[in-house]
Amino acid sequence: MPEIEVDVREPECAGREIRVDVCGKNCPIPLVETRKALREAKPGDVVVVIGTHEASKKEIPMAVQALGLKLLGVEEEGGVWTIRIQR
Amino acid sequence: MFETTVYLDNAASTRMDERVLEAMKPYFFDLYAVATSQFGYSLGIEARDALDTARAQIAGVLGANPEEFVFTSGSTESSNLAIKGVALALGEKKGRHIVISPIEDFPVLHSARALERQGFRVTRVRVDETGRVDLDHLRESITDETILVSVQAANQEIGTLQDVKAIAEICKEKGTLFHTDATHSFLRVPLDVREVPVDLITVSAHTIHGPKGIGGLYVRKGTPIRKWMDGGYQEFDLRPGVENIPGAVGFAKAVELITPEETARIQAMRDRLLERLLNEIPHTVLNGHPVHRLPQNANVSFRFIEGESLLLHLDMRGFAVSTGSACFSRSLEASHVILGIGGNHERAHGSVRFTFGRYNKEEDVDAVVEAVKEVVAELRRISPLGKE
Repeated sequence: MPEIEVDVREPECAGREIRVDVCGKNCPIPLVETRKALREAKPGDVVVVIGTHEASKKEIPMAVQALGLKLLGVEEEGGVWTIRIQR
Repeated sequence: MFETTVYLDNAASTRMDERVLEAMKPYFFDLYAVATSQFGYSLGIEARDALDTARAQIAGVLGANPEEFVFTSGSTESSNLAIKGVALALGEKKGRHIVISPIEDFPVLHSARALERQGFRVTRVRVDETGRVDLDHLRESITDETILVSVQAANQEIGTLQDVKAIAEICKEKGTLFHTDATHSFLRVPLDVREVPVDLITVSAHTIHGPKGIGGLYVRKGTPIRKWMDGGYQEFDLRPGVENIPGAVGFAKAVELITPEETARIQAMRDRLLERLLNEIPHTVLNGHPVHRLPQNANVSFRFIEGESLLLHLDMRGFAVSTGSACFSRSLEASHVILGIGGNHERAHGSVRFTFGRYNKEEDVDAVVEAVKEVVAELRRISPLGKE
């Protein structure tokens, strides 16, 4: 499977920003919470997931790709990663 | 997004058949009265007739007489009635010992535990690595004080079928009662009480495309048993409460709609799924017996993978499956079944169950295999647990 591409453009329409803090939570909680937020999000909303579990940083973009959603960015600083997804 | 397009969790519950709903409808809106005797009003007599007809039909497929079949709210209640009802009837008279297998579903497992708290002794008979009961150990475990043996007909997770006839004959020879939870094998695997000397059988409608909230307990004529819920005198004074007549009618309709041809079609899909998963995905092992297993059940463990991650990723691709991994099991513990057959925690956490039903199509098999292959490969690539 090709590497997941990151879409760096700004959201096309201004939606809500839904923040999910899963710092300190291990698999599968970050993915469960991300799914929950994406279910609640409306088209255009941006879900921002902030966590520390290394495997989830890779798993969440994988799920985003399977769902056909836009991955706006994956950033990491000091062991804390931030993943931005547009529904 | 988030739409389930392929449902492969038919062991948990099935989609109800529209024909079942059609059969039930008149008993909500036209013949809604409580079942009454011939001395009651006509609407109640018609309701009673419907209940009796449904009872006769379901008892008939077990080879039983109508008066040997008690309607309940489902498998949980049926197994509670079987175990606690026999304990109430025989606990003081004969003894306070029962025998179960360690891989029973929760209604049996926890009813036995409840009796243990009341001072009963419970023996958990050994099972082999496929989940089959050690018949010699069973024979040794039954004593003069044993009032009941409860061993499932088929396992809810790994699908292993027990040799119900052999177990029933051992119990008969030893003079103890035998209950079997046949929730998952009912009508998919033959069981006839004229050929198998079983005393109590738990069955349910929701696993055969019938409604939720209705099940039953076969009680062989003459079996010592007492009701454990207090109330009226319904259901041969074994199960108090207003009868669920729409449910009973729906249950009977669901029974009528199951055919051996359908079961063969389901088994063919299951066989193809197992063949592809085991041959095409490395480090994949079958859980349960390779031959003596439910025709609708496939259960495998993918090494280096957590079943819960696989479940989530499959869900996001439109597939519904089940896992024996901790977070998604209702007990929040790893599968007691996989651990009970000697599997380790890694095997339990990596176990995934696929169960087929009436509404699955042949193309579902290839679709789910391709999705599983893709997700397993990706998860193994990023997994800290290990690599291929």
